[in-house]
Parts: sequence; structure tokens; C-alpha cells
Amino acid sequence: MSTRRAWSIAAREFRLGPRSPLFLYAVFLPIAMSFLISAVFGGLLDPEARLGIVDLGQSEMTLAAQELDGIAVDVVDDAESLRDRVEMHNLDAGIVLAAGFDERVRAGEQPDLDFYISGESLASTRIILAVTATDLIREVAGEEPPVAVSVTPIGDEGYVPIGDRLLPIVVFYAVVIAALFLPAASLLDEREKHTLSAVLVTPTTMREVLLGKGILGVLMGVALGVFSLALNQAFGSRPLEIVLFLLVGSIMMAELGLILGAMVKDANSLYTAIKGAGVFIALPVIFIIWPTLPQWVAKLAPTYYFLTPVYEISVNGGALADFWLEFGVACVLCLVLAPILLAVGNRAETRLAWAG
Amino acid sequence: MTRKVISAILRKDLVAFSRDRFYVFITVIGLGAFVAMYWLLPSSVDETVRLGVSHTGLDEILTPIAAAENEALAIFEFDNRDELVAAVESGREGIVAGIAFPASFADTAESVELLVPAGLPPEYLPLMEGIATEVAFFAAGEIPSMSIATRTVILGVDRAGDQISLQEQMRPLLAFFVLMMETFALASLVSIEVQLKTVTAVLVTPARTRDFITAKAILGTSLALGEVLLLMVLIRGFVGDLPVLLVALALGALLVTGIGLLAGASGRDFIGVMFLSLSLMIPLMIPAFGALFPGTAAGWIKALPSYGLAEAIVGVTARAESWGDLGPALLGLAAWCVVLLAVGTTVLRRRVQTL
Repeated sequence: MSTRRAWSIAAREFRLGPRSPLFLYAVFLPIAMSFLISAVFGGLLDPEARLGIVDLGQSEMTLAAQELDGIAVDVVDDAESLRDRVEMHNLDAGIVLAAGFDERVRAGEQPDLDFYISGESLASTRIILAVTATDLIREVAGEEPPVAVSVTPIGDEGYVPIGDRLLPIVVFYAVVIAALFLPAASLLDEREKHTLSAVLVTPTTMREVLLGKGILGVLMGVALGVFSLALNQAFGSRPLEIVLFLLVGSIMMAELGLILGAMVKDANSLYTAIKGAGVFIALPVIFIIWPTLPQWVAKLAPTYYFLTPVYEISVNGGALADFWLEFGVACVLCLVLAPILLAVGNRAETRLAWAG
Repeated sequence: MTRKVISAILRKDLVAFSRDRFYVFITVIGLGAFVAMYWLLPSSVDETVRLGVSHTGLDEILTPIAAAENEALAIFEFDNRDELVAAVESGREGIVAGIAFPASFADTAESVELLVPAGLPPEYLPLMEGIATEVAFFAAGEIPSMSIATRTVILGVDRAGDQISLQEQMRPLLAFFVLMMETFALASLVSIEVQLKTVTAVLVTPARTRDFITAKAILGTSLALGEVLLLMVLIRGFVGDLPVLLVALALGALLVTGIGLLAGASGRDFIGVMFLSLSLMIPLMIPAFGALFPGTAAGWIKALPSYGLAEAIVGVTARAESWGDLGPALLGLAAWCVVLLAVGTTVLRRRVQTL
């Protein structure tokens, strides 16, 4: 087998690949998934209370409100716009602070203050904003709290925010689409369009074709895995160890992809096979999101042996030393898949020869 | 004659669709997954902040606070700090955090401890600090100089206690997912006919290009509408003004049929068709996705073809709206249907004529 010819195949894949929509899909998907997760879990399930302030006299309350953690403050130009935005639930609540508000509060007076609440805002948001506003007014009035408040964190060992627990989904899609789907679709496409038969009448062998397409899958899988982790700022303190697991995972996925690409009849069958097996290979992702489920089930899926270490190292500060067993199993799986791939490749080559 | 020809093409296409393992598979699995997802989502909105409090002798202050905020705040009392910590740690009775007032607080208010579990939304901290200091102010006999409560004006329909649940908000998105699957199916059927040139075989019969395109449009619309109706039945989506909802769903089916014809006529192969369909459908998912977020949609979202569909589904099923409220959105949707169907059929006709 000539590695030079295998590299030529890989180089051709990289040159022609970007013309394929699937290539663009593989690159686009991690970005879309990252956006989706940050949008949904950064905003939808944990929305910030939104307070609008019309400040007609440069009140200290506005500055103090803007420094609050967990409350999004928006300074609005006039009371009418504020009312409209609150009514349309673009803000949860709004306050209009009249000119000279601070001076009058400090003088013990009761200046004008309109507090608008959106009818669609949650009752819990309303109380948060009302209590916060009362607190801010006391602050402006110079009323020192008669008590010192201390914060004691409770039970934060092992707590991982849901957004972080979803990180494996992004990595999973990045690696599976790039490492499994790209080589599978590429090999199938060449079989369907008979360009593979043309390549095989040259000195290039099926093994070199498989290696070339495998290189494409592995490099794309690692690159997009790294890209998706970088996009989510989830490299942790051991990026090289993460890359090592991404490499092993990409090799495993590329082998599976090539086996599929050599075996399936057409593109429909390829999609059906991937969708059908999707639940099985996505098992570790499900079990990471819901850690209370019996974790041994996830170990049945081959993807467990690279996704879980990647997740643990990037999010929970794990290290390669903690995952030698997983690393070993992943390597063994890659070795077991190699002869299967060669056998399937040989069979496909024979079929092509007969068909030709 | 034309009707017979169209029926014949429709029968042929239905057989082809039922033999397509991929689309039958994703249709069944997809529908099942969307229905399961719907029923797993919360059917109500919990608007109450549940706080645990350990104290001695503060009943006179705490009871009125909890009573005044009956829906928004629930206070659970504990005899001592340790019990409170255990309750906060376990999240018992939905307690999200705790305030531990020392036993001597009623006499000499000096310090308060806020017990904050990991993952507590940050806006809860100012609430807890506010409650703790207000209790201290009250204990010290210092009434607030200004009362926010007496100056509060509620704008719009007051939905406290009757919020739109995540289930209800998800309906347009799920409907759109189903319509999207059928776009892929129609686009694939069309593209196979074009790529394999079986359309030329159809056209040597008495069938004309117009019959071929009409049959495809009817098939696409029927499949999309049939499935989205089935989905709405399974997720109990038929609430409110039924005629408005049916019109909106029918227009939605027509809309995706236009896109399916366009993608099917333009894609070069299976993957190309999938990618093209996805590229055309993703922007159309934005209004349905936007319905999950509070507030009104931005102007550019309202201009998207699918805005009327998302607005109508949420409007009818969650806000009890009718023709009067949703008329403009439905008109916009209908106009987009005309445009996309015209574009889809024109592109397909040209493609067929070039074969």
C-alpha cells in the first residue's frame, strides 16, 4: 500500500470536498448547535429579569441598578416608550424616575415614581423587581441596612450547569458528522457515480482509497471537535489530552463511516442507517445530560469511550490519567474495526469489479 | 381527463413515497419523537419563589410578607439552620434557597446568612438580600420611605397564574418540524423524477407539465397537512378558534410545498436536495423559535414567510385569539404562499422543460 497515493486521495477530498453541501453542513452544524444551546439554555430556561428605567434626573438608582447581577437593565428615553415596551413584554417592568428624585427621597419626601409591570411577566419576576427596586430606593435615600448579609454557598460540589452538560451534544455532532458522515457519503457518492471504479483501474487500491477518505474524516473530525470546543470556551486546562481523545474518537467514527459507505446501497439507506443507529451512538450524550440515570448503559455505546473523557476533562477538570481504561477500550475498538473495514472494502471492490 | 391524469400521478407518487424507507422512517420516528417531546415538557409555569427560612420570633414580620406576595413567594419555616441547610441542599418542596436569621435577630439584628445552592439564578440573590434587609428594617421599626406596591401599574393582560406554558409555546416549532420533514420528502420525490428523467416518461403520456406539477403540489400539501393535523391531534393542539387554526395549518402546508418544489427542482442529488431544503427551511424556523422567547418579534422576523403560521398557532391555542387579531398575520402568510408556490412551480416547470 502506498501512503503517497492515500495522501493524494485525501488531498483530492480536501480540494473537492468544499463543493459538497455536506462539507458546509459539517462546518455549519457545530456553530448552529452552539448558538442554539447558548440561546436556549442561556436565555430561554433561565431568563434574566428585564427592568427598564426612564431617568429624568440622573438618579444614582439607575447606576446602582445597572450593576446588579442577574437583572438586565435598559435605560429608556421616555415614559411612553417604556410603557409600550412593558405592555408588549419586551421588558418585565419599568420605572420612571422624576427629575430631582434622589434629592427628594433623601429629604424624606415621596416623589413621583411610576412602576409599570408587564401583564405577561412571571409573578416571581415581579417580586424580584419590586423588592430590588425598594432596596435601591432605600440605598438612594441613604438608609443603611441595619444588618450585615453574608452568603453561604450550599452543595455546589459536582454541580454542572445544564449548558455545560449539553456540551457533548455539540462535540458529538461535530465529530460524527465530520468523521463518520463525510467519508461515508464521499465513498458512497464515488460508488454511485462510478468514479471509484475509474480510480481503481489506476494503480490505486481500495485500501488506499479507504485510507485517503479516512484521513479526511479524521482530520475534519478533530478539527471540528476542536472548533466546537473553542466556540464554547470549553478546553479546560488540558487541551492536548482532549485532542488525543478527539483523535481516537474520530478514527473510530471514520472507520464506522467507511464501513457504512462501502456497504449501503444508496444515499437513502445511508441516512436511514445513520438515523437508525443515531440513538445508540448518542447514548452517552443522554446519560451525561441526566447523570442520575444508570451510567453503565452509556458504556454500551462506542462513543462513550471518547465523549465522556472529553466532557470530563473539559468541564470537570479530569485528566488522561483518570481515563486510561476508556482510552484503552477506544483504541481496541479502533483496532477491531480496522479488519472489518478492510474486509468490507475488499468485498465492495470485488462487487465493483464484477459490475464493471 | 386532467383530473384522471393528476389522480394517476398522485397514486404513483404515493406508492413511491411509501416505498422510500428513509422518509417513512423519519416521518414515523419524527412524529413519535415530537409528540413525546411535547408531553415531556412542563404543562404549566411555576411562578413561585420558594424560600426556606429559619428564625425565632419573626412570625409577625414574615407572615404578612408571604401573604402579600401570595403567588410569587412561598416561605417555608424551619426550626433551625441545620434543618434549613438540609432542605436547601435536597431542594425539598421546591425550596430554591434559604435565609437563616439568628435566634437573637428579633432583639439585636446584626447579621443574616443567605444559603445559596449552586445554580441559583443570579436574580434571586437581590431578592433574598432585599427580603432579609426589609425584615431587619421592620424589626428595627423602620418602615420603607416609599412603597413600590402602591405605585404599581400592570400593563397588558395580567397573566399572573395563567402563563403560557412551554408546551403551548412549543406547538408552532413542532408543527414546523413536521412540515419541514414533508418538505424534504416532496423535494426528494421531485428531484428523483428530475434526475432519473422519469418525468419525461410521464410526459409522453397524455399528462402535461401542468398536470405533473399540480399532482406534486397536491401530494406535498396533502402529506404536510395530514401530518401536521395528526400532530396537532396528538398534542391536543385543537383548542380555541378551530377554523383559524385549520386555515393557518393549510397555508403552512402550501408554503412548505412551494419550498419543496423549489428545492426538488434545484437540487442535483439527494444530499444537495437535503442541504437546499434545510437551507431554505432554517430561516423559516426563526419565528417559531422566537415564539419561545418573551416580547414581540422584531420587524425582520415579522417579514419572514412563516411568521403568520407561528403567530396563528400560538395566538389561537394559547392566547384565544381569532380572525380579528390574526387577520394581518394570516394575510401575510397567504401572500407568501402565493409567492413561494409561484416560484416553486416556475422553477420546476423550467427544469422539466429543459430535460
